Amino acid sequence: MSNEGDKTIGSGRQSAFTTFGTEAAWLAGLTGWMVLGAVIIALALAALMVTASRSREGALTHRQGMRLVLWAGGIVPSVVLLALLVVTLPAMRPIRAAGDDLRVTVTGEQFWWRMRYQPAGAPPVTAANELRVPVGRDVVLALEGGDVLHSFWVPGLAGKMDMVPGRTNTLVVHATRAGRFRGQCAEFCGLSHALMAFDVVAMAPAAFDAWLAAERRPVTTAAAAGARLFDAHGCGGCHAVRGTGAASAIGPDLTHLGARETMAAGIQPLTTANLVRFIREAPAVKPGARMPAYPQMSAQDATAIARWLETNR
Amino acid sequence: MSLHAQDDRALRAAQEERLRAVWAPPEGLFLRWTDTNNNQVGVWYTLTAFGFMLFAGVLALIMRVQLAQPGNELVTPSTFNQLFTLHGSMMMFLFAVPMFEAVSIILLPQLLGARDLPFPRLSAFGYWSFLIGGVFVSGSIFFDAAPDGGWFMYPPFTTRTDLSGLGADIWMLGLSFIEVSSVAAAVELITGVLKCRPPGMRLNLMPLYAWYILVVAVMILFAFPPLIAGDVLFELERLLGWPFFDAARGGDPILWQHLFWIFGHPEVYIVFLPSIALFAMIVPTFARRHLLGYPWIVLAAVGTAFLSFGLWVHHMFTTGLPKISLAFFSAASEAVAIPTGIQIFAFIATLWAGRVTWSTPLLYVTGSIAIFVIGGLTGVMVAIAPFDWQAHDTYFIVAHLHYVLIGGTLIPLFGGLYYYWPLITGKKLSDRIGRSAFWLLFGGANLTFFPMHFSGLMGMPRRVFTYPEELGIGGLNLASTIGSWVFAAGVLLVCVDLALSPRRSKSPRNPWEAGTLEWLAHPDDEDWGIRSIPLIESRYPIWDQKDFVAKVDEGRFFLPDAEEGRRETIVTSVLDARPVQVLRLGGPSVVPMLTAIALGSVFILTTYHLYWAALIGGVATLALVLYWLWTGTAEIPEKEGKPIGHGIELPLYISGASASGWWAMFITMMADATAFSGLVFGYYFFWTRQEDFPPDGPGMDGPGSFWPMLAMAVMLASWALTVAARELNRREAVGAARAALGTAALLSLAAIGAGLAGPWLSGLEPQLHVYPAIVWTLAIWTTAHCGVGAIMQLYALARSLAGRMTPRHDADLRNITVYQHFMALTAVVTYATIGLFPGAA
Amino acid sequence: MKRDAPRGRQSLGERVRGLRVTLWTLIVPPTVWAMHFLFCYLWVAVSCAKLGAFPRFPIAFVAGTLAALAIILASGWIAWVQSRTPGDDPPHDEGTDIDRLRFLATATLLLAGLSFVAVLFTAAPALLLTDCR
Repeated sequence: MSNEGDKTIGSGRQSAFTTFGTEAAWLAGLTGWMVLGAVIIALALAALMVTASRSREGALTHRQGMRLVLWAGGIVPSVVLLALLVVTLPAMRPIRAAGDDLRVTVTGEQFWWRMRYQPAGAPPVTAANELRVPVGRDVVLALEGGDVLHSFWVPGLAGKMDMVPGRTNTLVVHATRAGRFRGQCAEFCGLSHALMAFDVVAMAPAAFDAWLAAERRPVTTAAAAGARLFDAHGCGGCHAVRGTGAASAIGPDLTHLGARETMAAGIQPLTTANLVRFIREAPAVKPGARMPAYPQMSAQDATAIARWLETNR
Repeated sequence: MSLHAQDDRALRAAQEERLRAVWAPPEGLFLRWTDTNNNQVGVWYTLTAFGFMLFAGVLALIMRVQLAQPGNELVTPSTFNQLFTLHGSMMMFLFAVPMFEAVSIILLPQLLGARDLPFPRLSAFGYWSFLIGGVFVSGSIFFDAAPDGGWFMYPPFTTRTDLSGLGADIWMLGLSFIEVSSVAAAVELITGVLKCRPPGMRLNLMPLYAWYILVVAVMILFAFPPLIAGDVLFELERLLGWPFFDAARGGDPILWQHLFWIFGHPEVYIVFLPSIALFAMIVPTFARRHLLGYPWIVLAAVGTAFLSFGLWVHHMFTTGLPKISLAFFSAASEAVAIPTGIQIFAFIATLWAGRVTWSTPLLYVTGSIAIFVIGGLTGVMVAIAPFDWQAHDTYFIVAHLHYVLIGGTLIPLFGGLYYYWPLITGKKLSDRIGRSAFWLLFGGANLTFFPMHFSGLMGMPRRVFTYPEELGIGGLNLASTIGSWVFAAGVLLVCVDLALSPRRSKSPRNPWEAGTLEWLAHPDDEDWGIRSIPLIESRYPIWDQKDFVAKVDEGRFFLPDAEEGRRETIVTSVLDARPVQVLRLGGPSVVPMLTAIALGSVFILTTYHLYWAALIGGVATLALVLYWLWTGTAEIPEKEGKPIGHGIELPLYISGASASGWWAMFITMMADATAFSGLVFGYYFFWTRQEDFPPDGPGMDGPGSFWPMLAMAVMLASWALTVAARELNRREAVGAARAALGTAALLSLAAIGAGLAGPWLSGLEPQLHVYPAIVWTLAIWTTAHCGVGAIMQLYALARSLAGRMTPRHDADLRNITVYQHFMALTAVVTYATIGLFPGAA
Repeated sequence: MKRDAPRGRQSLGERVRGLRVTLWTLIVPPTVWAMHFLFCYLWVAVSCAKLGAFPRFPIAFVAGTLAALAIILASGWIAWVQSRTPGDDPPHDEGTDIDRLRFLATATLLLAGLSFVAVLFTAAPALLLTDCR
């Protein structure tokens, strides 16, 4: 794992207070102001209630009381709320995307994320469970629901947006600093809803371009023992590893799995032991996942497959 | 009867004896459950809802333990999903709404000085439906078959039978059944407030509680039916494969979200406003003065009710709808804070102007206002759409909604419990225990839910059975878990206090020295409700009207007797409460219970796909309803009218727009029309979603316009004949009226054939695509209503032939005419939509 | 208030006071808000979904909003006149025809105020956001 990753691991990788995107930063500021206002109003009301309950009988005449209700209950809130509305409504305008911005189609599946990078003027690249974005560039995220509803939420980058079968929702994001962050599904989607996360890596533009070029290349290890076992156990029936015969799109694309830091949709660090366990008993790690258990697969075979997948960086 | 007559003690004793006999509850192990008196039914209802609340609370405690630390493995994900689904569903459908209805069934007649609500048997039916449906839904968790799709049941997860099992059907059908009982209670309460007020209680003298009940019941009428429409579509997809929410076949999961939240948001105010209503009763009592700003409170109640129907999309801010659409709902969501603020300031001003006497109920009121205000302020925050994009579906929302519901529903109810317990049992609860419980509840609620604001924004989504340690929210969650147990200890303490109550001695009458009518209740409560129905001249008659209590007790007001041995109450006019009728109420009967069982069997058997058995249950339900109506309604009295005292003689039978039965039919049909509009909304929603609607292809040709137009014409003819029958009958042309009714029934039946012929003959295949499915749904809805209309027309004909309906006693015919008006509207909209719109679009 | 004055010579205020007030008139202002709200929502939803574009010159929206505000103002004005029918001092809580009228009129007036503000709230977004994204 890179040192850069270690620095940001721990609390804050998935927090609306640790921002690395323009929208999230603006929202964090808005949150602060609104909380301040709410605290002031709550304290004022509490003080008023204490005063009211301690006052002597008739401390307020009927006319004064009605004036209190009119101003404090009616007019002041109307003005404050209208002002709040007028300030915040323009913030609803999405970032205006240009035609040559990088476009990433993210599809929510039970319980993982399909990522399809579509840079302008180049063929698309498919990956899974990790989103990489260049710092300082607008990125258009096209969000789709594969099977059921999901919601795409990277608190440090921007607000969330649902993934609805039959619809394509667009979210334009703009990362402002590099780092490794985390996102998670926010719309209840089934048994492993809690286990559907992903890493978000914001990178300097040049590093991003280099990574995308590397991601585009097929693997060169198709002759390895692990590759043959992968094929023999029928893993290619669901998964794709470009450069081998495996090309199915039912499960996550595993081409450059070794380049990712986490596995099983962001819930475990990518280690051989974790991979072996997942290959043999996926439903135990991730209840409700469509990948079946392979109890008949030997530990050696699973280890060989795991090692091979890890070498594909 | 003059005032003098009531001076005679022997006469008064005789009257009391007769009243006591008439209102005596039936005795016997089984028969006692056949009572329909609101005092009994309301108490059963309240206790049952309270029990469901405790059950749902235990579910929440299990969840909190599971979430106490990261990676905990106390329960499986499957169990956890059932826990949160059932917790939310039960708290909403089996506690908050029924509790409001239950409390109102107890209190409303007392507040209005009525002997009972206008349809006691309907209340009993509602209660038994609630009990059966509630046990069915909540019991499912013991069989590991509880619904697990969240209380919002979003498709396609829940409509795909490969992803979700029986639980989804149990939720949908079990709660549909309860929704029916909620609508029944709403009909009862609206009619009660509008028609059963005591003479003189004009609209401006109505207790504010009654205003709120009126408003909330009307909200139920418009909020629940869209959900019922959604339930219909949902089950058609699950049971028959009609693809309303399946994107692959032209459906759209978002439609469910619209229908659900058109119900779901007003629902929040449906459960919140009754608590404000309790405040409006408690605050003046302990401020020792009239509530300041009576019209302002009415403004706030009515305004909130309206605005609450313009908020539903704020639960859908992240669904990707156009930002401008979101903005409208954002604006309305901000605006709704204004009436809420007005209510709170009216209470503050009242306390300020009055002389505050501290008491346990008032402690609960102020504490819950404090909690509610925090929930309201975070509500203003999440109403700002961009902020909601962060907060939505996180623990921030969990915190917000619990602050609102605990401060706006639960703790006020406990306050109401401490306030009204003497009214129901004649005994006060312990102030000492009550205060300790309050501080546990108050502290526990804050400790549980305040940290959730932070855990949410720090990355904790809702409905997760676990969370990773690296999010750094373990400490916050542990605090929440500890808080939840503190809160539970508070609830337990309240239960202990209730359990000790039977050992305590009776408190004096009207122990809080309140000024409103319900405190006439005597500690040694009689089942008759009120000794004589008073003439009201003030909002706080006990405070303001001279010798009020004594006059009521001595029977010096109206209807102090039950000479004919019948349960009776006075019906008055809507605006000024001028007496118009002595209404004879249904007494104890087993029919409401049997009808609830039969109707429940229809829903429960359908859940298990036992369609033939369900059909038998349906036939039984129909037979029971007809028997109930035939024997228990629109009875022709043995004499025209009777004196109620003070020289006033009222008729025993009225029909038309001043009768309570007419109002009940009108109100029911408003609900029915609202459900129908939900389906029509579905049709046009799909039209906006599809490029080609109707689409091209085999099995998708529209129903054409010939058959729909024919069906419309036949239906309108049936409607016109029903109106004609009403007029002919009124003019004593009984034979012609009967002929018109018979023909109308035949035309209704013909309209069924013509209505179904369109989609049938054009070979529309409902499983293929959403267009044929929604056309079939509209056609079936409308023709089913034709069928019900035909039964009504035949029923009126039979009543006429049996001599139970005459030119003077024509309530049946007038009421079915109301149905026919709505029926005609339904037919016109349906057939214009499916028959003409495809050509026009 | 001269109830017997011939109709032609009645002042406008007196004629307004004679209008019948019921629960239905109470809900006129909020109903207008609801219609306006529904209108805004449908106007945008249908334009965006079926025309694929935000209307360039939203004349329907402006006209609809002005009409809604006008109706609310009118009903508020009628209620204001009616609420000033002479009688006892505030809080007008006697069991008389006049107090019932004044109560309903006051409540209607307040609802008109709230509905007016709410219509402004609803209209604000259309001034600030002008596309379908």
